Amino acid sequence: MKIMEKNSSATEKEMKEKKPAEVEQAFISVYIMGKEHRVPFGLTIMKAMEYAGYRFVRGAGCRAGFCGACATIYRMKGDYKLETALACQTTALDGMYLTQIPFMPANKSVYDIEKLNPDINSILHLYPEIARCVSCNMCTRSCPQDLEVMDYIQAALRGDTEEAARLSFDCIQCGLCTVRCMAEISHYHVGQLARRLYGKYYSPTPRHLTERLEEMDEGKYDEAMDELVVMDKENLKKKYWKRDMEVK
Amino acid sequence: MEIIDGYPDFMMESIKKVERTRKSRIGRNLPRMSSDQREVILSKFHPDYKEHEKKKLQIGPNKGYRMPLEMISLLEAEPFLDTSKVDLSRVDYDVDVLIIGGGGGGTVASIWANMSGVPADRILISTKLRHGDSNSMMAQGGIQAADGPIDNPPIHYLDIIGGGHFANKPKLARILAMQAPKIIKWHESLGVMYDKDKEGNFVERPGGGTSRKRMHSSKDYTGMEILRVVRDESINRKIPVLEFSPAIELLKDDMGQVAGAILMNLETNQYYIVKAKVVIMATGGWGRLHIQNFATTNHYGATADGLVMAYHVGAKLRDLDSVQYHPTGAAYPEQIVGLLITEKVRTMGAQPVNMNGELFVNPLEPRDVEASAFIRECYEREMGITTPTGMTGVWLDSPMIDIVQGEGTIHANLDAMYRMFQRFGIDMTKHPMLVFPTLHYQNGGVEINEHCQTSVKGLFAAGEVTGGVHGKNRLMGNSLLDYNVFGKIAGINVAEYIKNVKIGKLTLDHVDKYRNILRDANIKSKVKAPMILPEYREENLMKRTIKV
Amino acid sequence: MKYAYYPGCTLKSYADNLESSVLAVAEKLGIQMEELPHWTCCGTVFSQADDDLVHQIAPLRILLDAQKVGAKKLLVVCSMCYNTLKQASLLFEKKPDKLETLNLFLDDEDDYLGEVEVVHFLQVLRDEVGIEEIAKQVVRPLTGLNVAPYYGCLLLRPQEVAFDEPERPTVIEEILVALGAEAIMDPLKVECCGSYQTVNNKEIIADRTRTIINSARSRGAEMIALDCPLCDFNLDFRQKESEKKYTDFFTMPILYYTQLMALAMGINGDIYGFDKHYVDPRPLLKEYELI
Repeated sequence: MKIMEKNSSATEKEMKEKKPAEVEQAFISVYIMGKEHRVPFGLTIMKAMEYAGYRFVRGAGCRAGFCGACATIYRMKGDYKLETALACQTTALDGMYLTQIPFMPANKSVYDIEKLNPDINSILHLYPEIARCVSCNMCTRSCPQDLEVMDYIQAALRGDTEEAARLSFDCIQCGLCTVRCMAEISHYHVGQLARRLYGKYYSPTPRHLTERLEEMDEGKYDEAMDELVVMDKENLKKKYWKRDMEVK
Repeated sequence: MEIIDGYPDFMMESIKKVERTRKSRIGRNLPRMSSDQREVILSKFHPDYKEHEKKKLQIGPNKGYRMPLEMISLLEAEPFLDTSKVDLSRVDYDVDVLIIGGGGGGTVASIWANMSGVPADRILISTKLRHGDSNSMMAQGGIQAADGPIDNPPIHYLDIIGGGHFANKPKLARILAMQAPKIIKWHESLGVMYDKDKEGNFVERPGGGTSRKRMHSSKDYTGMEILRVVRDESINRKIPVLEFSPAIELLKDDMGQVAGAILMNLETNQYYIVKAKVVIMATGGWGRLHIQNFATTNHYGATADGLVMAYHVGAKLRDLDSVQYHPTGAAYPEQIVGLLITEKVRTMGAQPVNMNGELFVNPLEPRDVEASAFIRECYEREMGITTPTGMTGVWLDSPMIDIVQGEGTIHANLDAMYRMFQRFGIDMTKHPMLVFPTLHYQNGGVEINEHCQTSVKGLFAAGEVTGGVHGKNRLMGNSLLDYNVFGKIAGINVAEYIKNVKIGKLTLDHVDKYRNILRDANIKSKVKAPMILPEYREENLMKRTIKV
Repeated sequence: MKYAYYPGCTLKSYADNLESSVLAVAEKLGIQMEELPHWTCCGTVFSQADDDLVHQIAPLRILLDAQKVGAKKLLVVCSMCYNTLKQASLLFEKKPDKLETLNLFLDDEDDYLGEVEVVHFLQVLRDEVGIEEIAKQVVRPLTGLNVAPYYGCLLLRPQEVAFDEPERPTVIEEILVALGAEAIMDPLKVECCGSYQTVNNKEIIADRTRTIINSARSRGAEMIALDCPLCDFNLDFRQKESEKKYTDFFTMPILYYTQLMALAMGINGDIYGFDKHYVDPRPLLKEYELI
């Protein structure tokens, strides 16, 4: 058991001097905002930056690929392509020129979900800029989740809320699509609206939940609960170990 | 060392053994452990039972309580804030409700306070990172609610209490179970997309230690889906949020009630004074303390700041002797070690097996029992698999899911997991994943009553920072539920509470007193608290930094 | 006859009764229409509004989608999409340098080779199926029904995209005659309906609609048959405004030509969507015992 977050404290030079025979650790060059740093191979971009001495305030969140805080843009040395990545989920490679997007000024509509009238134009009303999409597909290309971003914007544009909700579901709202959009669309906010509209208006609440709430309003379980909360530990234990299991 | 499909050749050999036993394991599981068996394995293998990893707290209302060394170190640390440099006469924000923490608990509390009559501009959320950066965002597997036909809240209650080793606060556990269906209904009205079957019913699955299938989920992005919806709702309600501005100490007034907080702008290093009629502490957990050097599933800011600040004002803590280790943290590849592999992988049919592909534990034991069995398999029976970087783990046989439930099941339900491994060249639909327990959850915390009040007037708390709801062990799907239920209750109750509150003269005397108590107890610590952010920079490099 | 088919957004929303009637008629006439497995917005008139080459990416992507499924011809029903895609394909034909620029820009995709021909459904009906064949399929002739065709602008202008005489088109008339209806000759059939003015300036549309409908009525028409979803919206829904503004205005049913074809061919089923029209055509159709 060891802390995997903590980097080894030896520098490349020290490691080579101390035990040359055992050291197989390869070092690579990464360029953090243009400045070259030697870091061990096999770290994520985030850990490589920490190894190089950067302490994150912005640019790190969940460190597990769920929050989108570590949106990163990079270019490989000699390549013309700009690539995108999550710093916590991507291995640092030799020759990466790196920068992070600490904040994305994206347009989010403010609305009252209760008062929206879900129809084929409800997304377009709140985000009219989606009509500016020229299908360049840069959003899809820049998505670190590999979502079909352009397709969900197109679905929203033609009023297909369900498709927009489905295609955008795995969005972690990192904003990399939005950075690269020439039509200045805030894709991830559009997806958020589509999902809330779908969840609220197109996907009805199951009857068994409504029935349970009605039973509870009538106080059906109050008595059983009153008994349980005052029950002594021994009786509770007996009851617990005797309970039947739906899944064995 | 050759790498095949993302695994080095020697690990691939073990995978071949797993594949050979796979067919014979379908539909077969080891029985669940009895009460006695559970106690034996916990006491022998669970990290919580290593007494030398804990000690007694020497000061404050919990003096004499045993807690992990890492927590004691923070509670016995020098307060970070130099009170002599703070000018309390200039208040930067004067609000009714200050919510410390912009994760799930804080965000839900802000919405319910607003719905209960507190105007949005009388609320302030202060948060360390961005609004929403929290463990709530990362929860994958699901949220429990007893709404199924053969289920009901009293059965849920029994699961909570038994899973918590009968150490829970009964009234809190009752609220958790009874509020659950209402929370799901609320989420439905906000537009949370829960997984539903063709008839429109919830897809409900079992979880470790639950006696019914009551896990509601949104693929394996359940936490993200709920939080991004409640955050969107909070933004739509125009509730103000200060990002990158964590609280570093609570303020009191001359009548002894909590009356706001000192915030610190992490980018400019200036402090802000927030005066408030009431404070809700919703700072989350402690995973980034790396208790006993375990890797963690927690987000970057999970540094137990709320516990420290609450203790500085004299709030009682509880159940902090117990730490939740999630049985299935990734143990390979190196880049993702410690990250969560949702319990849903087991509830959907993946079995844990050892290096020879043999079963050694039922997949659906409560987390502490399951984790202990993994540790026993690796370190006593020595049937684990050790990676090139020295991590030892057991296999979680994920390809079984598609075999048992049909091809495509993993893609439809476990996209986040699939993506995480696929990024490093491993296909979980074809090969198992190597797992080992990882630090996951703070079972205990600041003690609250059924109104979310702490033992200090003016201080409420909700979510992972609190203690009592889960006793000594939380079940899967009860933490998303916890922050929603108690965030709601905190929000509703503060709206009522502030009607009769008058704040006197602001003071930080309690911080100086705390310093004195430390001195009187002869504690000389170099550590400063709260921690705010963990330090992952290299030690050599740190030695060479110059303070400007 | 097998075609790659591009529906466009309007046929999936407002004008779903145009799509359903087209598909029903096509099936009857043996035209196989396979919807592109992946498609996006055609770019609408944005791609015509200025010479910003970037706006041609949207239509180019559709043509590429068609190329990917191996289509030589791409069948389009919506006149807006037809116009946009046709103009784009002609641009790429005439200005290969511009196509090359865009191909270089879309460097993750195959190059578009410029070989997909954009055809309109009316073109297929006239040139591939043949008017005589349509007449053969008629089981319920629209005898006595007086219908004025209306073309609007997008099928016929600019001249390069037109598959009929731009000032005096006849293809819808030919079809109506084959269906047994009376085709009313009306010179305003190629007048502008007001197009997108409908968003900001309903007044203009109310006037145009009144003029067009009154002209048709004065020549004996009982209904108008058209092809374009935008014209349909303006001529049908904006009659509400015309009614409000002019006391001498009386409403007239507006149908897609494919709805009339389906009726005449005796196609039953849930394809007509008559309830989607502002002016209900059913009383008139009942009068002629067509429903």
